[in-house]
Amino acid sequence: MDIWNFAEYAAWAVSGILAIIIVLDWIRIDTTYSSEVLTSSREGEIEAMTEEHRL
Amino acid sequence: MTRYVPPKQSRFGQILDVAILLLLTIGALYIPLWLGFAGSTLVGESPQNPTWESLGQNPVMVEQWNGLGFTDASAASEIISSRFNYSFSVIELLVMIVVVIGYYALILRFSEKEYRDVIDEKFNGQ
Amino acid sequence: MSQLNDTAIGAKVDAAVTASEKVGLLRVLGPAHVWALGVGIVLVGEYMGWNFAVGKGGAYAALIACWFAGLLYTCVAMIDSEVTSTVAAAGGQYTQAKHIIGPLMAFNVGLYLVFAYTMLEAANAITVGFLIDTVAAMTGHEGLDQRPFIILAIMFLAWLNYRGVLATLTFSLVITAVAFSAILVLFVATSPVFGDSPWRHADLVTDLPYGWLGVLAAMHFGLWFYLGIEGTTQAAEEVRSPARALPFGTLAGIMTLLIAATLTWYVCVGLMPWEYLGQSGVPLFDAARLSGSMGLMVLLGIGTMFATLASANGCINDASRAWFAMGRDHYLPAWFGAVHPVYRTPYRSIIFLVPIALIFALGAPLDQVITFSILSGLLTYTFMPLNIILFRRKWPLDTIKRGYVHPFHPLPALALLCLCAVAFFAIFLGYGSQLVAMLSFYIVVSLWFHFRRYRYVHRAAQFTMPWPKPRGY
Repeated sequence: MDIWNFAEYAAWAVSGILAIIIVLDWIRIDTTYSSEVLTSSREGEIEAMTEEHRL
Repeated sequence: MTRYVPPKQSRFGQILDVAILLLLTIGALYIPLWLGFAGSTLVGESPQNPTWESLGQNPVMVEQWNGLGFTDASAASEIISSRFNYSFSVIELLVMIVVVIGYYALILRFSEKEYRDVIDEKFNGQ
Repeated sequence: MSQLNDTAIGAKVDAAVTASEKVGLLRVLGPAHVWALGVGIVLVGEYMGWNFAVGKGGAYAALIACWFAGLLYTCVAMIDSEVTSTVAAAGGQYTQAKHIIGPLMAFNVGLYLVFAYTMLEAANAITVGFLIDTVAAMTGHEGLDQRPFIILAIMFLAWLNYRGVLATLTFSLVITAVAFSAILVLFVATSPVFGDSPWRHADLVTDLPYGWLGVLAAMHFGLWFYLGIEGTTQAAEEVRSPARALPFGTLAGIMTLLIAATLTWYVCVGLMPWEYLGQSGVPLFDAARLSGSMGLMVLLGIGTMFATLASANGCINDASRAWFAMGRDHYLPAWFGAVHPVYRTPYRSIIFLVPIALIFALGAPLDQVITFSILSGLLTYTFMPLNIILFRRKWPLDTIKRGYVHPFHPLPALALLCLCAVAFFAIFLGYGSQLVAMLSFYIVVSLWFHFRRYRYVHRAAQFTMPWPKPRGY
């Protein structure tokens, strides 16, 4: 066992923790908000507000 | 011009579509690997008992090889004497040209058809 | 109207969001982030991969390929800047194709983008593993398990991307700046400015070992000097003023890369015999090794690591934007078109692409993954000239306002088309069967989209730009 073996275990552990954080947050968000709100983003909305293509 | 109303896709259908795409992608990457015709090959055998001179290396080159950790000529001879094989058949080249042009022609044709629908509904509809 | 200041736009958008309970991506980025996104993805190409062009055709062939590829990408950047300063939405070239050529082209372009970036991300993760293994071996530890480090790199960057775009690209900005400075430092430190220079160009640079065919073949990896710079357009929906920031960031990016590529070439061919350079895994690190300075070695080691991380980071950002945009239009299941209500990122797309990247990073050989990425990129570049020609034809200059108008049309488009043909030939020389396999894949997927998937797509609703009707329809 040297420092590199510890580094391997540490990398496994941190990867696992990050994965758990992401998945937990994902589940929390999907159960808190309705899918209508989550998928309400529309392309080009901002352009329609800020730019008028008239010359 | 009637407005096209798409059907609502079921959860199962959504998963199925993603699975199909994934399968095709992995297939495209791994099938050439399995069939074993992937990658370009290096040819040329390294000479017996090479010296730096017989490999065509001048003193400065030898110095750099040493700096890179190749202390004698035989260690570096494989790297120095291998070459890519750039020969190809004209038939293969023609096949590739046909496939590339055919692919873009197919896409542009179908796209144009779909695009006309879109423009028609957007600007001539309602 | 483009004179509207950023805060006014921000306030307007925020008001719209709260009023209708809608969540969209956040407009927080500036031109520097655009530069970091573009250069960050690409700069890793100077640290590894470009040198295979030297192996394909010798030192001069690599330089010619570097400049011709630079020309190709300058055309790409100019064309892209014009279209994207007008079509400012996530999805970049995908959204452009949708508005200008048609849905099937858009679907294909979206897939090119996702695959080019996801494969590049996988290649970067493989390189991170290789680098850590190299460092471990130098300290006397043999047989390091690379997998946890590959997974960690992807997980960490995915988490960063999940948490918000501003932090993600600020991170990219910092590490990209460090990696770029490392190249400059290496160049200056090894130059004759400080006395004895280790450069030996006169003795090391040889004639073309394969003749001119080698120069053509070198174009394959010549693309690697710049591959990914077109990704700047993916940020379009998240920059504060796309019409100004995108052209500026993209064109500044291509200039940075031209400088970095030429310096890298000059330093490396002046230090290594071309046969070695042509197969080296980490050429700039090797160059630092040959300079004999420990400080330079550490600096270039860090630079290599940072460049790979910045690249993977930008790739996650871009691939998820393209996947998200396709989901939002129902080209892919609508489920992917979701935005995180707190972090305002396309979180489901980010999550979905993590296992895909892992499959390729852990299961496929590096040169295959790189070729898959290069091919997808090349298909995108071939689409661009078609795109700009049709754009100018359907909406001539006097019909809609552009943030940037590229000069000498249609010369850049035609030049780009010719250079793409050369690049196709170069890939054909080494990887002809992959090329055909990939195109078969795209043909099958296109048929699937046209005859099955497209029925779930709203027709008029996908045309979102406030443009007049195109000419000729």
